[in-house]
Amino acid sequence: MNRREALKKTGLLGGVAAGAPGLLSLLQSCSQQSRSGWVPQFLSEKQAQFISAFVDTILPKTDTPGALDVKTDMFIDLVYAKTLTSEAQEGVKAELDKFDSDCESKYGKSFADLSNEEKRDCLMTHEKETAKFNRGVWGTTVGEQEPVAFYRNLKSMALWGYFSSEEIGKNVLNYDPIPGQYRGCVPVEEIGKIWTL
Amino acid sequence: MANYNIDAEKDLTYDAIVIGSGISGGWAAKELCEKGLKTLVLERGRIVEHIKDYTTAYLDPWDMEYRGAMTPEQKKIHPIGERVGFVGETNQHFYANDLENPYTEVKPFLWVRAHQMGGRSLLWGKQTYRWSDLDFEANAKDGHGVDWPIRYKDIEDWYTYVEKFAGISGDPIGLPQLPDSHFLPPMELNCVEKHVKERLESNFKGRNLIIGRCAHLTEAINGRGKCQFRNRCDRGCPYGAYFSSNSSTLPAAHATGNLTIRPFSIVQSIEYDEAKGKASGVRIIDAETSEEIIYRAKVIFCNASAMSTTQILLNSTSNRFPEGLGNDSGELGHNLMDHTYRIGATGLVDGFEDQYYSGRRPNGIYIPRYVNLKDGPQSDKFVRGFGFQGGGYRQGWGQGTNMEDFGADFKDKIMNPGQWEFFITGFAECLPYHSNRVFLNKEVTDKWGQPTLSVDAEWGENEYALNKQIRSDAKEMLETAGLRDVLDFDNKHEMGYGIHEMGTARMGKDPKTSVLNGTNQVHACKNVFVTDGACMTSSSCVNPSLTYMALTARAADHAVNELNKLNL
Repeated sequence: MNRREALKKTGLLGGVAAGAPGLLSLLQSCSQQSRSGWVPQFLSEKQAQFISAFVDTILPKTDTPGALDVKTDMFIDLVYAKTLTSEAQEGVKAELDKFDSDCESKYGKSFADLSNEEKRDCLMTHEKETAKFNRGVWGTTVGEQEPVAFYRNLKSMALWGYFSSEEIGKNVLNYDPIPGQYRGCVPVEEIGKIWTL
Repeated sequence: MANYNIDAEKDLTYDAIVIGSGISGGWAAKELCEKGLKTLVLERGRIVEHIKDYTTAYLDPWDMEYRGAMTPEQKKIHPIGERVGFVGETNQHFYANDLENPYTEVKPFLWVRAHQMGGRSLLWGKQTYRWSDLDFEANAKDGHGVDWPIRYKDIEDWYTYVEKFAGISGDPIGLPQLPDSHFLPPMELNCVEKHVKERLESNFKGRNLIIGRCAHLTEAINGRGKCQFRNRCDRGCPYGAYFSSNSSTLPAAHATGNLTIRPFSIVQSIEYDEAKGKASGVRIIDAETSEEIIYRAKVIFCNASAMSTTQILLNSTSNRFPEGLGNDSGELGHNLMDHTYRIGATGLVDGFEDQYYSGRRPNGIYIPRYVNLKDGPQSDKFVRGFGFQGGGYRQGWGQGTNMEDFGADFKDKIMNPGQWEFFITGFAECLPYHSNRVFLNKEVTDKWGQPTLSVDAEWGENEYALNKQIRSDAKEMLETAGLRDVLDFDNKHEMGYGIHEMGTARMGKDPKTSVLNGTNQVHACKNVFVTDGACMTSSSCVNPSLTYMALTARAADHAVNELNKLNL
């Protein structure tokens, strides 16, 4: 249904804007290197390492490309750099650092340095503790929305960056820019994966 | 296309002037031009050429650097669009710059504007429904507002006339409260919508679930192509498949050779000739040069959109009309209406896992009004009624955001169609309250030094009672239809959010209580016509644009007849 079609909202803004600055506890990690050749526009090197490890854990490479293959981490950096107000950017920086410092408190290492098992354990803890988005109608959530923590906003950005990429859109999902007709009941097996658009 | 009047020195006199080029202005231009009048359309924004200026029409997400997200600079000039939630990188160029066009919210009111050739006809929802005598008789029956000076029989043939040109798709089912249009073939319901329809109609006598009736071509007509089901309408349709001024009425007006469009023309006021007792022209400010120019014409159509038209009339003062042109009644600016919406329910549908759909249908389902009909259940809590829009769909990758999962299997899973969902959201009629009004604000001026508008309006008890019923009915219907985890909601939005502003220069039988007569003429200045949302005497619960089209075509016909009889 399209009443002046609502844009696909990422959930990005709500959580970011609400992000409480502060709680900066920076523990330096020297063991990680940024992805070769990437100079982040917004993220610090340590934050970039975190984002790369985060999106890779959410959407790893399998027989289909992973988030790193389609540069989801770089896209998130770009979106933070170019589409947020400076106030919102401050909030994001604080949230990123808090996420990693919480990780260091619990595991003794920053997220990027954890074993795969520890990474999964860390994210699953956030999954269970973080409120979910209410269902949406025409692009906006309905009902009383509990505040959604940074983790779920970042996860939604990872999904957005991954699924809006050309590689996934054109070569993995079902891409049909000009369908020409609408068919209301079609067996799934005729179509397969979800539509790109 | 069209002649563009960009030389202020020539062509200062026309047969007709149309203020605004949106849905009703486009119709006025087409009808007046086709009847032989040299017509000047004054558009406050830029030219938007059909197809050529739909610059984002073919962009996929990855074609845009930020994949549809706006920059802080873009967001800053669209605070209203941001509040209403429809603006983004692919369509922000069709939304007005809110900073250059301030208005004052005495109470919260969303005023979405689109300042370019075609206006909001490029952005509208395209749901198109005829009104019935249930609507035209409503004020007379329950005493709210004043009686409409017309009935369904006065406009019926004009509905047919505009529908044949605009192209309306839908399914005729013969409901008296929602008369059938002259239809192109309907779009299809999907499996879940068909299922809910069957359950709903068998459990609730007198309620129907139908495919939305909409101004999308399901067959090519009048040189326009049919819908390609891309659902990128608000970028402008390169096939001309939905009705907009740009795709439809303005090209038809241009084809007559009688059309001139002058862009960047902010109408300041309508000039009144005290000696002749009628309007003589329109004073504009060139938005780019700030030059003031007066254009002359025998007949003037006001189609700037409801509140903007009234702003112009209020600003058009003379000895005869010290409180604004046509404001003998004191009703000019009053009785502002909108529709309530974003109240409803959404639920999950089990089964149908083996079913999907193809194509992106720019349309959904509609549940026509079923309370307070002539024959049928009456409410003791409210007058008037409501209808629902909605639809069914399968979740896509977005479902992953809420899933307590991630990793390899998760990634595979969300690449496949997810849970079916189905939702409905009500649209309720709003009563015409005298206290809901707009008025000129001389303290706050715009970029061109002109007084701006203040809006002082809020929902009343009847609207809240309607909303309460919408919410409980929505929940009951979805639960009875067998949906699970039904979540009912009321997003409690302010007025204006429906983007169906109506009233402020209402039609009526009595010049003492209304601004316009039964043919949309200002009672005491008959060569000025108002045929946009401002003219509405009540608001119905169905979308208003089709009625603006029909009223405009009817008024233009009357204008030309009167001109020919030398009555104007």
